[in-house]
Amino acid sequence: MGKKDEVSKQFLDALEFRGIKRRDFLKYCGATAALIGLSELYGPKIAAALEKAAKRQPVIWLNFASDSGCTESFIKATYPSPAEVILDILSVDYNETIQAAAGKQAEEILAASRKAGGYILIVEGGVPTKKGHGMIGNKEMLDVLKEMAGPAIAVIAIGSCATDGGVPAAKPNPSQIIGTGEALQRVGISKPLVNMDLCPVNPQYLVGVVVNFLLLGKIPDLDSQGRPKMFYGQTIHDNCERRAHFDAGRFVEKFGSQEEALGYCLYKMGCKGPMTYSACPKIQYNDRTSWCIKAGGPCIGCAERGWTDKFAGFYEPLPGVKIPGLGGVEAGADKLGAIAAVATAAGIAVHAVATAASGRTKGKDGGKK
Amino acid sequence: MKEELVKDWSLGYILDHWIRVVAIAVLVFTGIYIHTPFIAGGPDSTIMASMRFFHFVAAYTVVLGLVVRVYMAFKSTFDADWKDFSIIENLKNVPDVLAYYLFIKGSHKDYRKYNPLQAFAYLFTGIVIIFTAFTGAAIYHGRPFLIFPMESFRWVNNLLGGESYTRIWHILAMWYFIVFLLIHVYLAITVSMINKDRTLTSIFTGYKLKKH
Repeated sequence: MGKKDEVSKQFLDALEFRGIKRRDFLKYCGATAALIGLSELYGPKIAAALEKAAKRQPVIWLNFASDSGCTESFIKATYPSPAEVILDILSVDYNETIQAAAGKQAEEILAASRKAGGYILIVEGGVPTKKGHGMIGNKEMLDVLKEMAGPAIAVIAIGSCATDGGVPAAKPNPSQIIGTGEALQRVGISKPLVNMDLCPVNPQYLVGVVVNFLLLGKIPDLDSQGRPKMFYGQTIHDNCERRAHFDAGRFVEKFGSQEEALGYCLYKMGCKGPMTYSACPKIQYNDRTSWCIKAGGPCIGCAERGWTDKFAGFYEPLPGVKIPGLGGVEAGADKLGAIAAVATAAGIAVHAVATAASGRTKGKDGGKK
Repeated sequence: MKEELVKDWSLGYILDHWIRVVAIAVLVFTGIYIHTPFIAGGPDSTIMASMRFFHFVAAYTVVLGLVVRVYMAFKSTFDADWKDFSIIENLKNVPDVLAYYLFIKGSHKDYRKYNPLQAFAYLFTGIVIIFTAFTGAAIYHGRPFLIFPMESFRWVNNLLGGESYTRIWHILAMWYFIVFLLIHVYLAITVSMINKDRTLTSIFTGYKLKKH
């Protein structure tokens, strides 16, 4: 690492002033390097890149149909954390939930940003496509997205509402809510898009994507669903702290039982960890305090598309299937298969009786001719 | 009328058949355990890991067994029977066999090795094996045969509408094998009783009674 990669004393002093020790900051940069798949030697480089991001990257943060849980997960830190410093590198010009401006003033900021262009567009929440079901300043949310996505350099959809509609798009989806990717396709805008499924999104994931952008000048590698591979490359099950109990066959059968107290595997309680791609077990929430499974709750699979419907019955291993021809009657796959097997056995019994009655077994030449 | 023993199955066919039977039995048993673990493990247990291990070994066996079976259908020196599975030819003869099975007719035509419904059932079973292998590979999350990269079967999940549905299809495929087994064994017994040609024991001994 050359001299130019080092962080200036001034910058570190400024951090000290905010209550962040130099050592903590550099440790955090090293951890962030590991997070985005770089060697820890890149830590100082990240620190330098953060300092040298002289022109703060402008960000427009749009809130659509959601509960603003993702905003909450960012602003609820109780003390200034290194993550906040990194996020301070961004110049969040517009965020309805936390900005001071309102009404005409807010509209003016948005118009000015649109004219300037070159910002990262962060989308939180799904886009209602039914007329009048979601409007900001007398404009349909879909039109707002269309206006703002045009001059953006990249779009980051955070939280499962933004990626595919999430909770507000759950059946029967009265507002016909769609995700950002689909909405952009519908209005004919093609932009680099990063999907960050999770409900709410993990602040560390956004830090990783932002640092990746500042350091390498591009969005990270994405998987088949447009999610950063570095956070969505492995299943929760593969990294789960309770995985040993799974392999050993030690399962929680009932909440409130001895097995639960012992921290056994939650697979039989409907845990969707084996089907869900996310780095939750490694990164955890609230400054690595805890996460769903550590807290004793089975994973509900909120990092997967359509989890509200496809993983419905959060304490059931698999959702029910609509039986064809019976209009809305649902049954589990096990029941469906058992019914088919019993029906087959009954059919065989009837056929066997008919065969005996027909006298076929008594003939000498058999059925062939 | 003369009766003589005629070789109906070579050792290759017999072995291929029984290896498949054992492997599918292992797959059904371990598969049910993996889906709903019915035995709780103790402090030193590795039961789920073992069940998964035998499930994967049996899965590889069934897939390779199918490869061997397809190879034999074309290249067997004893009886390359791929022509018996001709869809067009068999479709023509379905009404004949169906009428016999439903007691509308008292007899059916003499088919070479498999009757049309039988040929369709076996062909479909082959397709179900492939389908089960693909859905299984998609929920395996590993590197099947060590040659496919990780996640190279994730498209199956996207195609079927999400991994939970891949799992449902995988379970329904298991029930297909159970239903197939019931019908297969029932018909083998019934045909042996009607034709008195040792059809049932031919898959053990390889020999069937032929009448002239």
